[in-house]
This record gives sequence, structure tokens and C-alpha cells, in this order.
Amino acid sequence: MTDATAGQARPRAHREPGALRLGQQEFPPGRPLIMGIVNRTPDSFFRPGVTWDEPSALERVHQIVAEGADIVDVGGIPAAPGAEVDVAEEIHRTAGFIAIVRDAYPEVVISVDTWRHETALAACQAGADLINDSWGGVDGRLAGVAAEFGAGLVCAHAGQQQPRTRPFRVAYADVMADVLEQTLRQAGRALAAGVPRDRIILDPAHDFGKNTWHSLDVTRRLAELTGTGWPVLVSLSNKDFVGETLNLPLEQRLAGTLAATSVCAWLGARIFRVHQVAESRHVVDMVASIRGDRPPARAVRGLA
Amino acid sequence: MITAAALCPAPPLLARELTGADPVIPELRQACHAAAAALVAGAPDLIAVVGAATQTRAWDPDTGLDLSPYAPALGIGSAGTARPAGGPATAGCDANAPAGAAPPLPLGLGSRLLDQAGYAGRRVLRSIGHDEPPEACAALGARLAGVGPRVALLVMADGSARRGVKAPGYLDPRSAPFDAEVERAIRAGDMTALLALGPGLARALLATGRPAWQVLAGAADGQRLASTIRYRGDPFGVAYLVASLTIPGQAIACFLR
Repeated sequence: MTDATAGQARPRAHREPGALRLGQQEFPPGRPLIMGIVNRTPDSFFRPGVTWDEPSALERVHQIVAEGADIVDVGGIPAAPGAEVDVAEEIHRTAGFIAIVRDAYPEVVISVDTWRHETALAACQAGADLINDSWGGVDGRLAGVAAEFGAGLVCAHAGQQQPRTRPFRVAYADVMADVLEQTLRQAGRALAAGVPRDRIILDPAHDFGKNTWHSLDVTRRLAELTGTGWPVLVSLSNKDFVGETLNLPLEQRLAGTLAATSVCAWLGARIFRVHQVAESRHVVDMVASIRGDRPPARAVRGLA
Repeated sequence: MITAAALCPAPPLLARELTGADPVIPELRQACHAAAAALVAGAPDLIAVVGAATQTRAWDPDTGLDLSPYAPALGIGSAGTARPAGGPATAGCDANAPAGAAPPLPLGLGSRLLDQAGYAGRRVLRSIGHDEPPEACAALGARLAGVGPRVALLVMADGSARRGVKAPGYLDPRSAPFDAEVERAIRAGDMTALLALGPGLARALLATGRPAWQVLAGAADGQRLASTIRYRGDPFGVAYLVASLTIPGQAIACFLR
């Protein structure tokens, strides 16, 4: 697709909030979804290598599904710079494993964390339902793969960053305006490519092309993104903006992550990409009940 | 005169939507539905719903149950959860009842039970003050029974809320014999015995049903009733009793009419 046609397809108008479809499932607004991270990498930032071998990765899937994950997100490349992982190796790490998860869990939503259309294609052939691209749609053929397989697509804001690069003195006149501009433009491209409207998701992509101030501002102003009516995914889990805000190392960022999770949930985010599934499930369900989207599990106090 | 009565408790959790995802106590609701259905099946000319509240007065029978004092903003949320639909339009026509204000919880719950039983006939809603003496309660019962030849009563009344250390009112050992006597009287159809329940003790035991039981006693006017107990229990430390009461011979009288 050329930039000119992409420009014509920009959906400046907000969409009506509605059901989100992933795989065979339909999720109404107000039902928060937990996306549990499964890294098929030796070198991801959080607990590197723990699910590098296949049995450990499958064990991780069993655990997060039991803890309430709605979506299993399989990735083969860390976000941070490091040893090159080519397409063949990325597919080797992800596609076969996705097929195994698909067999074990016919109903669970599987997403593949990639920016490359070749990997997305192999993953969708193996049974993936959602393409989770955190790098802002740098591969122009990605949306076409989603359309071909009826898969969902995450449209993220990475500023001007290329995949696997760190922000260097990034600056925005208005970071949320840029998030809106980029994610809505990608949503328009996805629509034009044939991705169904109810399978397109926006992600402000905390830390991606952003310093900590930017990520805090995006969190504070998340209602501007959720207010577009498109489903919003947030990926906050143990990220540097939490660590820098609290001056805490990786292993001590859970509380900060959950605080940010709770704010995003309150402001209407619908998908939460997380390492700690059980704790996140509790937080988003609690916030959903405070919002009035979810009844308490069991209310008797004062009512007998 | 009364032809039949149903006795149901009136805890907020009788409203299904207040207990959240878990139905918590479906067997209690089922028993209440069965009691209301039996009352409606008797084809009375009028059903009077009676329950204790802060005042003794009539309430607009066309104004439905208001749960907002117990669950503010119930049904809000981005999922757009619809509020439960109201019941069928009632043929209340109670000239004594000012229109508008929602009835107290026991009457609202009872009115909803009638809706759920498909009752569209005449109904009146009467609250009886928490502190009304037994004679005043009995007098109200007699007046309601005198409204027509075939009056049925739906009595919304709870036993003691002090039946254990986890009970809302903590344990009071007097609660067990108190509730046992109420149950004995209901089982035996001995409504007159209910008039002996002392307001002071009932108040101390948080037995909020006392005035409504005594309205029932007044309406029965000394007749011994046949009773069917549909539920008895205190899963949360409050005594719940569901019963159907009929005047022996009424079924035949109804048939002959």
C-alpha cells in the first residue's frame, strides 16, 4: 500500500465502542482481558531465559491460563537491542510452539509478538489469532497477513523508533497527540487492508520511543485514546518507566506495575499485557467492579 | 376475609442482582417464588403485601422495587448492562396510597415476587411501623382481611438477626427459642400465638418481622391455618422462614363458587 492510499483511509472519526473479536471469541466492552507473556527467548528483560526451552514455556502457558489469562502472547525477539534474530530463527522460536499451544487450548486466544509479516504469517498458519506488533507497523505487509487470516492486529505507537532500538532524546510537542495520530493512521491502514473493524486494537506502547515522562503522560491521558472507541491494549509490565519512577530494580516493580494497571483500567483500557497474571487479573477485575462493568463475585455482607 | 397467606423473608439478597455473580442462596428464592405462585394460583380478589418499615402507611402498588439504597449505580458500566425490566403493569388502584415514592424493601421485594408469579390483579402494599404494638398490628390485619371476600396476604417478615457470632447482630442466645416459637406457631397454623411475641424482645433480637407476623395473626382472626413450610434456615445468622398458609376448606369453597 502507498502512503497516499493510507492517508485516504485515516479514520479520524471515533468508532462506536463495541465488542472485540479475537479468534472465535467475542469480548464485550467492560470485560478486561489479560494477555500473559510467554517469551521464547534466552535474553528477554524480565526473568531472561525461563521459558526458552519448550517444556518450560508450555508449563508457563498452563500456569497463566489457570491464573486467568485470556490471551497467550508468544514472542521470539526481545524488545531491547541485542543479538540479531533473523526471520527463520524467529519463526523457529514461535510458530511450532504456537501450534502446540493451539492443540492444548483450542479456545484460548493466541497472539504472536512480532513486527515481521513473515513471522506473523507462520504464526497464523500455526493457529495464532492476533498479531501484536509493538513497533508501529514498520512492515507494511503485516496488516495484509492479519486480513488474510482474519486475525486481529495491534496498532502501536513507537514514535520514530525502528524495531529493537532505544529512545535517544526523543521529544514530542504533544506525545498523546502523536500517539493518536500514529495509532489511528495504522488502524485506517489495517481497515483498508481488510482487517475487520472489531479486530483492530490500539496500543500507546509505554517506553517505546518514550522517556519516562512521556509514558507517565500517556498513562495520565489514556482516556484520550480509549475515548476514540477503539479497544486499547496497554503493556506496562515491569517496564523502565515504572522502575525509573520508583527507582526500583526489575524484581521490585510489581506494585508500581499494578498501580499503573489500575489507572489504565479505570480509564478504559481493555487488554493488559503482563508477566504476573494472577495479580493483574485481581487488579483489573477489581477496577472493573468499581467502574460498574463487573458485578462482585459474591456479595452478602450487610444484605442477609 | 383471608383465603390464604404466604410468608417470605425480606433480606436484600433476595434480589438476585444484589449478590453479584454468585446466586448465593437460590433455594431461598425458589421457595419464595413457589409460595408466591401458590398464592396467585388461589385466584384471590386482592393480594395485600405486608412488611415492617419505619411508618405505618399505604404505598403506591405501581411503584416498583428500588434497590439503589442497597446498591448505588447498579447496572451502570460500559457494558451497558440493562436494568432488569419491571414486572407487568399492576391493577393496584389503592386510593389510600400516594403515588410516587418507592415502597420500603420488604414491600418492594414482595411486589416483585407477585410480578414474577405473573400476578396482574389488585394488590395493595402496606407497611407496618417497627414499633407498632401487637394490637395495632392485629387491627391492621383485620382491616385488610375485611377489604373483600377473598383476600390473600403476602407477609414479608424475618426472624432474629442474632443467631450466631457471625450474625449481623452477633449472638444472642435468646434468638434460638424466639425463632423456634415463631416456627412452631407457623407450622401449627396457630396464628394467635404470634400475638404473644413481645415487641421489646423482638427489637432486641433484631427480629424485624414481628409486626408483620402480627398483622397476619389479626387477619387470620383466630382461625387455625394449614401450613406448608417451604424453607427454613439461617445461613447468614438471620432466621428465614418461607411458608404457605391456607384456610382449611377454602380450596373447596373456591371450587364451589
